[in-house]
Amino acid sequence: MLHKYVVLLRMKYVEMFAYQLATIVWMTGAMVQPLITMLVWMNIYPEQEEAFIFYFAVLIFVERMTSAWDVWELEREIREGTFSYQIVRPFHPIHWAIAENFVYKALFFVILLPVWGILAVFVPALRFQLSTLQVLLFLAALIVAAAIRFLFSYSFGLLGFWITKVTAVYGMFEAISLFLSGRIAPLSLLPPLIQKISLYLPFRYMIGFPIEIVTGSIQGTAVMYGFVGAMSWLLFFMIVLSLLWKAGLKKNQAVGG
Amino acid sequence: MRRYWRIFREFFRTCLVEELEYRSEFVGNLLSSLFGIGIAILTIHIFFYQTNELGGWVYEDVLLLLGVFNTLQGFIDFALRPNMSRLLQHIRKGTFDYVLTKPVDSMFYVSFRHLVFWRLIDVLLGIALVLYALVQKQYIPSMADVLIFCVTICSSLVIIYSLWMLLMTTAFWVIRMDDLSFVFNSFFETTRFPIGMYRGWLRIVLTYVLPAAFITSTPALALLGKWDITAAAASILVAGLFLWLSRRFWRYALRSYTSASS
Repeated sequence: MLHKYVVLLRMKYVEMFAYQLATIVWMTGAMVQPLITMLVWMNIYPEQEEAFIFYFAVLIFVERMTSAWDVWELEREIREGTFSYQIVRPFHPIHWAIAENFVYKALFFVILLPVWGILAVFVPALRFQLSTLQVLLFLAALIVAAAIRFLFSYSFGLLGFWITKVTAVYGMFEAISLFLSGRIAPLSLLPPLIQKISLYLPFRYMIGFPIEIVTGSIQGTAVMYGFVGAMSWLLFFMIVLSLLWKAGLKKNQAVGG
Repeated sequence: MRRYWRIFREFFRTCLVEELEYRSEFVGNLLSSLFGIGIAILTIHIFFYQTNELGGWVYEDVLLLLGVFNTLQGFIDFALRPNMSRLLQHIRKGTFDYVLTKPVDSMFYVSFRHLVFWRLIDVLLGIALVLYALVQKQYIPSMADVLIFCVTICSSLVIIYSLWMLLMTTAFWVIRMDDLSFVFNSFFETTRFPIGMYRGWLRIVLTYVLPAAFITSTPALALLGKWDITAAAASILVAGLFLWLSRRFWRYALRSYTSASS
């Protein structure tokens, strides 16, 4: 297993450099919207400027580290019939996807840390003091968040066995999650009802939860409850994915010869 | 000019015929447009849950601005976006030669050959939102307001077109750049909110370098009766300038174009 993964990781690593430009676009992509949202909030609460800069900088980081693109890949592969090649391999195709995610995100992590360091020299709002415990909790929450978002996206992709236009439906969920995951606003600024709902849906655990740990807006038992929620959703999507996978294989009819 | 109008009508007709083959998709497209504008309105609600003005604009004003934004976005998706991927393909495969040999202006041809009609839904929804905002505000625009609005919205369409073409023309050099439209989207997103929201150097850039201010804020202000004649004149001037620039750039690109293949 481990040996297979080493091979996969190396393969994906090489692949990534073959598409340098696309990689760069992927990395820098989707930064504009959070930045504009940040400006809006800085306008509404000028006295809390620093806090918003920090929040949205962490948001961009977390968003990139957890971003999931598998639904688009799967949709295309199932539609064009190339997914069949992956199914017949003796190794579950999800491992390819996991390896790919790992390689891209690890690279981004390595690049972003020094960038953050340099920016922090010029922008005081980016300097932070965190306890070791906070850092560890953040990293744990981040990994769980990435896993949930990945499983969500992959499960959605598998729906492609049954319905076309999966990505359109996925896009709707993404749009709704803008509010519930803390991307439009820190959850504490939302109306109380939406805040409450967000605690029970998976979206907060995909992005907002790790940020809340770092900004210190949740502490102690709230963090613990957060992890309970995150782990439950993680487990839930693991089960959903394996069920979809089994049912999907029965259903699958490859397109083309 | 007359001839180009006739050719445009012909493009219009063929694309319409083409699109009517996929009528069943209409409902889905309608739903996704409604959903999109719904999410945008909800976002503004979230902001105004915490404040009652944004860069000096009240809720109804921002709603009207969003309506203008949605309308313009609809036009972009209707006429400009569908053509972009085709130009890239033309250049990559060398079929751009055929475009050049046609007895029409090549810039005109690559900009308007393909139209996606259902995107006009966004235009209608945008106009509906503008009207709704006016009703909410209980403001009836005077004739002068409407006139200035029409002039400035035409300027914004010209500005959008010119910026779009400036970007698209770079495809002659950066051929594998599929993400040109992404660059444009990022810029266009900034026009979703009042220009008054941006401060310092960013505002200067968005007014004088990349004329975001003239795209949505100026027409919206005109309809709200807060226009001033200098801004309106400036928007016409800027539109003319950018159109001239994009035209020059296109000509320059054509001169350095050396077909693909062999």
